[in-house]
Amino acid sequence: MSKTQEYLRRRPLGRFLADDAAVLPVAPAARPAHVGEVVESSTTELIAEACQLHGAPPFGRFVRVEFEAPIIAIVYNVFTHSIEPNRRPTAYGKTEAELRLEQPQIFELLRTEFQALVVGYRDEYGPAPILPPQPARIHSFVYLCEDEEVAEFTQSDEYLRSILGAAKVPTDELLVATLRHALRARGGEGAYLVEMGKELSRLLRDDYDRLSSILRRIAR
Amino acid sequence: MRRRWRRPRCGRRSKTMLDLPAVKSQIDAMVLQERAGQLDFQQKLALALAEHERWAEQWEGLSVKIERSRTSWLLPTGLSEPFNRVYPLPPRPAILSVAATDGSQIYPDRHEIAGCFLINIGYILLPYGTGQRPLLSSKPTLFYREEEVYEQWGGRRILVNRELVGFKRGLMELTELAELSLAAQEEGHRVVALSDGTLILWSLEGKPQDFKEEYLAAALAAFERLRQGRIPLAGYISRPGSQELVNALKLGLCPLAAADCDRCPWKPDSPPSAERARWQGRGLPCGGVEGVSDAVLLRQVLKPGERSPVYQSSSRILEEYGPHHVCFFYLHAGPEIARIEVPAWVAEDGELLDLVHACAYDQAQKGQGYPVSLSEAHERAVVRSADRESFYRFLEETFVKNDIRGGISTKSLKKRYAGV
Repeated sequence: MSKTQEYLRRRPLGRFLADDAAVLPVAPAARPAHVGEVVESSTTELIAEACQLHGAPPFGRFVRVEFEAPIIAIVYNVFTHSIEPNRRPTAYGKTEAELRLEQPQIFELLRTEFQALVVGYRDEYGPAPILPPQPARIHSFVYLCEDEEVAEFTQSDEYLRSILGAAKVPTDELLVATLRHALRARGGEGAYLVEMGKELSRLLRDDYDRLSSILRRIAR
Repeated sequence: MRRRWRRPRCGRRSKTMLDLPAVKSQIDAMVLQERAGQLDFQQKLALALAEHERWAEQWEGLSVKIERSRTSWLLPTGLSEPFNRVYPLPPRPAILSVAATDGSQIYPDRHEIAGCFLINIGYILLPYGTGQRPLLSSKPTLFYREEEVYEQWGGRRILVNRELVGFKRGLMELTELAELSLAAQEEGHRVVALSDGTLILWSLEGKPQDFKEEYLAAALAAFERLRQGRIPLAGYISRPGSQELVNALKLGLCPLAAADCDRCPWKPDSPPSAERARWQGRGLPCGGVEGVSDAVLLRQVLKPGERSPVYQSSSRILEEYGPHHVCFFYLHAGPEIARIEVPAWVAEDGELLDLVHACAYDQAQKGQGYPVSLSEAHERAVVRSADRESFYRFLEETFVKNDIRGGISTKSLKKRYAGV
């Protein structure tokens, strides 16, 4: 008998619980827990369901999808919606704390999902700023990239090109947010900002206003 | 840009749908009749209100008359207080959990690949005031074994039909509600068990004795387990059509000291009598409030949150309920008057009764007019026609994969692929 089954058997309410509610109360693991699970996947982007309601990784954050060759992606859109297509959330005029006490069911009917732009993967030779040979598998777990991983992946400036070349993403905003995360992962190292600034000025040389707006916002 | 080719919108529309223009004239006739009925209805309602007021003071006299009379309609019994007494809304305990179940089914279909049926039960446990995670789930049960698909009642062996599945589902809703509530209580919840619809299994009347006994015994065993756990059980009836209170007023209008509908002297086919000769009005003397329901009457009496006194129902099946004899009250739930049914042991326990009153109103408020736990239970349980289709297709595929012979009827096949 699995641990989950054993736990459910012991709980009086066990037999009535939905499968997704049968989460074992576990001690914090040495390895950080995943933040989401892939529910739609293609070579260039993926959609993941966040483990917690409103618990998606921040906009512009680097995430890693566990795979033989882990896939690196950047979160570019987060959305929360009703899980039932024909049931829309309505206003209750109460704070979230009040709603949690008096309308607890609504939080079970909402899901947070996030979309991430695939920018590369890692193999035995290190980070590769190239689209992976195969897309992430559905139901694989999504983890936040550690600072070292972010620093390693953003060593090369190729990810800036990936963002600039992506369709249907808020390009400039994503550039600003991603660069700020990359900068933070390096402890705010000024030299890195200068280096990336130079690359951006090459990429956006025909649009000075746009470039200066991006740079101003990164340095803010 | 290339334009997509569209079918020209000309000529008559598809003839396979309901022919609305053909219904139109019938709807017009119905509206005329309704309008005439409404005028009449206002007079009836006014009379019912006046009678309600009149008997408020003399309720004991009416109570005696109810005991003595033999009517062809249901009367409330066990009157113990004035009719027009209203109970204000008691406060709901800050920490409370509401358990509810609802069921749905895929009926056996002899035109489909296999003779089986499915019952899906939705389980809801909503904890209030603690921030605990609610329980919202559903569990399907497939009935396919020989002894499940055929039942033997009253000496006859029959293939399970829609009616039997309905009974089975209703029973499962009750027994599972009891199990869920008791499990929640064991985990430290203070529970109110809410059931969708009536607690009176009146549809068992007229069924074979062995069938009736077995179903009733199972339902009452669930009631008993809740009683042992002191978990109040309540049946919530939205838009009740019941007329027990109005029937009492009807009885009040009867000029006889004790009514006997079988020997009513005012009926047109009764032998001529002195009573009928004196009677000036139209129809029967008790007809003045006919057609008014308790809910319509009490809408004029109760304010939001208030409830009526508790009455005992006099359905015949309740003679076999023992300590679980069903009592009821009406509650102004906001958008409508709801009928709340409780077993006698809840009705007699002031604390439990207040709990049910407060909880039922609160649930309706939270669900914008209808108890949120019941509507969520329905959402979990419901098997829509698309689900039914998927179920049979899945069943079919599994049969084929495992090389099991099965066949659908030509009628079913024709429904799926209707040619032109």
